[in-house]
Amino acid sequence: MSRLLRLLSLLLVLALGAAACASADDDADDTAPEVEETDDADSEEEPDESDGDADADADEETVELTQGDGSLLDAVIAADEVRCGTRDALPGFAVLQPDGTHEGFDNDFCRAVAAAVLGDAEKVNFIDLETADRFTALQSGEIDVLIRNTTWTASRDGGEGATFLTTNFYDGQGMMVETGAFESLDDMDGAVVCVASGTTTEGNVATEFARRGLSVEVLSFEDTNLIQEAFLAGRCDGWSSDVSQLSALRTAYPDGESALTILAEVFSKEPLAPAVRDGDTAWAQAVNWAVLATIQAEELGITSANVDDFLGSDNPIVQRFLGVEVDGAVLDPGLGLPTDFNYQVISQVGNYGEIFERHITPLGLERGPNAQWLDGGLLYAPPYR
Amino acid sequence: MTTTTPTPEQPTSGSERSTAPAAVPFWRNVRVLAWTFQLVVLGLVIVVLAILFNNVRINSQNQGIPTGFDFLDQPTSFTIPANDLRDTQPVRDAIVEGTLNTLRVSVVGIILATVVGVLIGIGRLSGNWLVRNLARVYVEALRNIPLLGLVVFAYLAIVLTLPRVDDSIQAGNLLIINTRGASIPWPDGTNLLLVGLLALAAIAGWSVRRWRLGVSERTGEPSRVVAWVTPVVLLVLFWGAVLAGVGITSPMIDGPRVTGGMTLQPEYFALLMALVTYTASHIAEIVRGSIQAVPRGQGEAAKAMALTGVQQMRHVVLPQAFRIAIPPIANQYLNLMKNSSLGFVISYFELTKVVSTTIGNRSPAIPAYLVLILIYLVLSLIISLIMNTANRRLELPSR
Amino acid sequence: MLGSIGAWLRANLFRNRTDAVVTVVVGSILLYALYRFLRFLFVTGRWEIVRVNLPLYLTGAWPSDELWRITTVIVAAALVGGLAAGVAARRAAEAPDRVDTGPRSPGRVALDLLDRLWPAVATVLLLLILARTAAPWLLVVAAVVVAIAANQVGRRLPLRVGWLVNLAIPVGVVAALWLLNGGVGWNEWGGLLLNLALAAIAITLCFPFGVLLALGRRSTFPILRLLSTVYIELFRGVPLIALLLLANQALGFFIPQSIAPGRTVRAIVVLTLFTAAYVAEIVRGGLQSVPPGQIEAGKANGLTALAITRRIVLPQAIRNVIPALVGQFISLFKDTTLAGAAMGFLDLLRAAEASTQQDAFRGDGLIAEALVFVLLVFWAGSYTMSRESQRLEKRLGVGVR
Repeated sequence: MSRLLRLLSLLLVLALGAAACASADDDADDTAPEVEETDDADSEEEPDESDGDADADADEETVELTQGDGSLLDAVIAADEVRCGTRDALPGFAVLQPDGTHEGFDNDFCRAVAAAVLGDAEKVNFIDLETADRFTALQSGEIDVLIRNTTWTASRDGGEGATFLTTNFYDGQGMMVETGAFESLDDMDGAVVCVASGTTTEGNVATEFARRGLSVEVLSFEDTNLIQEAFLAGRCDGWSSDVSQLSALRTAYPDGESALTILAEVFSKEPLAPAVRDGDTAWAQAVNWAVLATIQAEELGITSANVDDFLGSDNPIVQRFLGVEVDGAVLDPGLGLPTDFNYQVISQVGNYGEIFERHITPLGLERGPNAQWLDGGLLYAPPYR
Repeated sequence: MTTTTPTPEQPTSGSERSTAPAAVPFWRNVRVLAWTFQLVVLGLVIVVLAILFNNVRINSQNQGIPTGFDFLDQPTSFTIPANDLRDTQPVRDAIVEGTLNTLRVSVVGIILATVVGVLIGIGRLSGNWLVRNLARVYVEALRNIPLLGLVVFAYLAIVLTLPRVDDSIQAGNLLIINTRGASIPWPDGTNLLLVGLLALAAIAGWSVRRWRLGVSERTGEPSRVVAWVTPVVLLVLFWGAVLAGVGITSPMIDGPRVTGGMTLQPEYFALLMALVTYTASHIAEIVRGSIQAVPRGQGEAAKAMALTGVQQMRHVVLPQAFRIAIPPIANQYLNLMKNSSLGFVISYFELTKVVSTTIGNRSPAIPAYLVLILIYLVLSLIISLIMNTANRRLELPSR
Repeated sequence: MLGSIGAWLRANLFRNRTDAVVTVVVGSILLYALYRFLRFLFVTGRWEIVRVNLPLYLTGAWPSDELWRITTVIVAAALVGGLAAGVAARRAAEAPDRVDTGPRSPGRVALDLLDRLWPAVATVLLLLILARTAAPWLLVVAAVVVAIAANQVGRRLPLRVGWLVNLAIPVGVVAALWLLNGGVGWNEWGGLLLNLALAAIAITLCFPFGVLLALGRRSTFPILRLLSTVYIELFRGVPLIALLLLANQALGFFIPQSIAPGRTVRAIVVLTLFTAAYVAEIVRGGLQSVPPGQIEAGKANGLTALAITRRIVLPQAIRNVIPALVGQFISLFKDTTLAGAAMGFLDLLRAAEASTQQDAFRGDGLIAEALVFVLLVFWAGSYTMSRESQRLEKRLGVGVR
């Protein structure tokens, strides 16, 4: 009995202690950055990049609190880490590997931001988000940037407190069915369509079918795995998603790619773009130019393989772009980024074409609208000067 | 943490109605101190809540998100499977449909889980080795896995076994089973009409039962309630349906869909199965414990009166066991109702799924969740009230 | 021999005609189900997905060069657990009312332990076989050796230092969290590790809170009683998943955004607040079970109300409800999967679901294999705990009328 009591009191003390620690942390945040310095000194056995997330958070808060309405850009530099909202199972765009790393198109753009801002593409903390929470995570400051296959729409720009940046992938919503089952959307009266929940996809299907005077039943799942299983089992007649997604899913279909057909009708424009929180221009510009760097580099023919050769180029556009010193002067556009950020992005992550080929081409998708403007596509980077 | 309450020791020590001497100054007065302490705690709670909700107001304003309940009148912009709700109807209609779906799965689930749970609970005490151990394995396996895993598993198992629409299992127009679900003939009137009919039949049945019981009381004849009530109820239902012009529709396969009749969706069925098997395993343990708690002499006395095994259970042991089991079983019913929220993982549009979908479609999160919590509390309260009433009526008057 | 088997069959399976029919019907269904299940396990099931993703399932995205932290924690847990068991055994041995059963051979003890813990042991063995490398084997062997050695040391420790061992458990939990957190921030934890950590932290934090709530609900102070009752009923009336979704989507609104905690902290807060309401009800049951005579005796001895609560009522109440508390811990452990679903953690269940989308397995329909594995792991953990709690119940003599 006395032992129990002792244990009980210990637990109480423990809880109080934990609470006290928590509040002590808050105090530290409020007072001064020096406290954080000592914290870091305490945990010196760790290499720099594997700093605990708690530390990173604390650092960021310190900066935010002490500088009032300072930019997230400073906070990210202080934390030495970009917290990038992504997901864990989206073929081609973001897939969690068995070893815990993230591989995909979106992930590489996260890395590009880290390379541009911090000079190291690996200083990214990938945070997996459900579709329904992604804007909350952005609003609450849980993530610095959202690169998660997110469509740029007016109401999201307005109502969700998000600012969308340059589109890095032009997509459109389509419908995938078993080959031969339906020829067009108009055949699908009364069909069951599966979509991912909490996205524009859901509303688009309802609107499109209503517009055509057709009835439809929409099942929506949080989890792509369940959609896939339901579709395979014939629970759904159609699977609606962005065409890029559908192509990805089709390549992995057990009965072969030809067993599925993506209908010709594309019933929405889906420009997928990175998003940051409203009202932080400095950070928005930094992220934007990191994305533009990959597009510009492809236009200039610079790849991760030949970027070092280009350092010696005498083309003034290339020199400016790579931040090469000419006559003792380097172009600093005043974005708050290191002057060689384009070089860092290209050398560590690659240009747009390389990223596309790495992750999207294996899905069997053509460049289409995602080609350079010179090739008839929509990619067009503003001049870097 | 405890810095703001200066004298917690004193009031607690005096809380036991000890009569304080008259000359004690007020700061030593036990009752004054006790109330001060309580008011301080209350004040703290109020202050904390006020701060939290003030934050909500400020944060929402900063992000231009409304805090009121106007969103209930906005169009949903989504549809609910197997439901006539249009995407232009207001959010409040969707929430009503979600609540009805929660009730649909909860009520049926509670009934089935009770039946299965009682059977397995009795099976746990069977004399047959195989039955006894099978029941045990069932209980130990089901109780110890996460329900969420079971829900997903049940969904996949069911959806993957169902045949596609073009090779449906079909028994004429009476039963069609395919990935759309299981469809059966169903009256085609509005829900209100059907509920009204059922209520009418219930009232008629209940009056007949009362009358028969009264007759039996007066004359000593056997009451034969079942034999009287069943035909009366059926007659009322039949003529009611004919008079109100309620027809029957049969299911038919029409292209990719099944029209007519009533269709039980796979999502509903999977959630129901998972909830029933899981809750039944808990109810079975309660039933077993309660049966074992009935004094052994009761069963032996029943045996001595030459009752068969089934009769012993039905008339002697189970009624007493239920008296013990009702409070914990009521808890299981509450759990089942709350666990139906897991339907949101498999696209069964119950309350939580509907609310989280409307938030995904631009309803403000906090007011929407307040509505959600309120509805769940009301549902919990209703179940508690029903079970408390049952408990009171079954309680032995002597206790 | 044959005769005794026949007698057993008659007594247990074929007592009369109904019984025989039941046996045959149930038996054939059972055999078929068993056949299907075994076929799935050994013939049709494709378990590479589990084998390849084992690290992901167990520790999420934990980097391999930080694995030593987990290893250290496991060995330290074995050390402390062994010590505590040793000290407890010695206490029991020296208790005055003990019935002396004589020393037991080590083989007996091992068999006993195996009988008690077989679900967990079997699962660990399965994991080891799936792992196919030597390191996990070494770790398990080391942990077992350390535990046995610590147990022996514990039995030889003087009773006076026993309380130190008690102290070591909470201190150890904190130290383990600190050590693990140093490697990977806990907002990035995943897999089974996350499920275990969430459950352990939440149960530790909710216990004192739950006891306070229970005392509040039975207090003579009307306002405290009201507040506690409202709190308890509010949290017991709402599904956990709704609270988790709320915390995930809306917690950011309740507190200034600069101090918004990460997902793990949010999950812990919700699980703690939620479980505290249930713990409060369990403890309240325990408080009610303490005979009023005990309180009266305390009063007669001139103890203050606080002392009566602390020294007389609570110890008895909590002793009575320990099995129920273990039960609550088990459901908390299982409920941590909801945190994964609602907040997008890569906990064990979601890691398993996500793994089916990897290039190597996409479209192969291996979700059944992954799910069966997950359910097995949860089952083994929960079942072992529930057996231990039943044993405890018997030992404490709770519920004996």
